Amino acid sequence: MVKVIEHKVSREVKAWLKKEAAEQKERYKKIVAEQEALSPKRDKWVADFLERIQSRGFNVHADMLRKIPAAEIPKKPRRRFKVVF
Amino acid sequence: MARPHIEPFVDRDVSFKKMTLPGFPKGMHYKMLSLDTDTGACSMTVMYENGYVQPPGMSYADMELFIMSGYLESDEKRYTPGSYFWVPPGVHMPALRAPRGCVALMFYNYAEPSFVESDSDHQLAERDNLTIVNAYEDMHWTSTNFFPATASGCLVKVLRFDQRTQAFTFLYCMTPNFWQDNISYHDCAEEAYHIWGTSWMMQFGNLPTGGYFWRPPYINHGAFACKLGTLALGRTDSQLYNHFHFNPWTTPEENRERAASRMLAWKPELYRWIEQHGGHNHPHVPNDFEYDGQGDPHAIAHAHGVPHDHGDGHHHHEHEEKPKRRRRRRSN
Ligand SMILES: [Fe+2]
Repeated sequence: MVKVIEHKVSREVKAWLKKEAAEQKERYKKIVAEQEALSPKRDKWVADFLERIQSRGFNVHADMLRKIPAAEIPKKPRRRFKVVF
Repeated sequence: MARPHIEPFVDRDVSFKKMTLPGFPKGMHYKMLSLDTDTGACSMTVMYENGYVQPPGMSYADMELFIMSGYLESDEKRYTPGSYFWVPPGVHMPALRAPRGCVALMFYNYAEPSFVESDSDHQLAERDNLTIVNAYEDMHWTSTNFFPATASGCLVKVLRFDQRTQAFTFLYCMTPNFWQDNISYHDCAEEAYHIWGTSWMMQFGNLPTGGYFWRPPYINHGAFACKLGTLALGRTDSQLYNHFHFNPWTTPEENRERAASRMLAWKPELYRWIEQHGGHNHPHVPNDFEYDGQGDPHAIAHAHGVPHDHGDGHHHHEHEEKPKRRRRRRSN
């Protein structure tokens, strides 16, 4: 399949792309900051999740559930918890 | 792949901008959702003003369009909400009008948006691949038939499936009170836009109507929940496999390594063959007889963007030193 038909990319198009790329960088930074601010809530959500997979179960496939034994529950590592990469 | 991880982003938080790229008619506005800064490939919410008229024309790259509100019409047909187009590069579309305005999602997969007036196809156009369907009226919901699958209550309508890469575009819904208690990641990039409704993910919180994400491979997402139901459009750039687990803190690197280890467990023969024939010192791009024929391995390496050796001992990802030659204009 032809992915792209070769064509000249004009200076105008390049300038548009540059501007959009710069705006996206700002958007990305804002997302990272917002997600960082969500950390305390997220820690609570994670604790609830780890509790539910022990009591109700973990979705192995579709609605097939497995109750995870306490010994298998992972421990939070010391490194920073990131969700946006 | 040079789109950053944009998640979550809500397009309701920003206003439309005028589309000023050369070729596009007046009356088109857009919100950028995500952009590949190397190729210009991008996803946008677009709004056509009342009375917008687009002459017959084509694009240099493939384009997907999904109508969310209002309608577009040609001389023959009216395209109402749910209408989905996948237009291959160089395939010309007839004149389209939006007498009462229209809001749609627009995706370019491999290059920047382009529009060239033309009432015939480019010589390289593959018209037989043109797809037009109304996802709301012409298709039925099916359960996701991947294994392992999402929980019941997540339903899909597959709008496009690329046989080569297994990339696909799909409408999906989550029924009210949907929940799925696992963490997922994929080997592919995943993208979605909420046409209506709010759903929740353990990492990112609530994603409302107008919510969007572009998520590169191997990034954890889930557990999942949805109180009142959600209708969304999703896309991948290659095969989607649900790698489920329950460790909230793993990194994309750890997830990728686990995926590789799973591949060894699932397809040991193939894994060892790739290891033997595709190692760093002897890069060999496997040939697919269906697509590559008895092709030149060097050309195949280029087609797949695979690093390879030019006989001088140096590995090159692509011939970046000659962008002008690669982008030479061809007459249409
Ligand atoms: Fe996913």
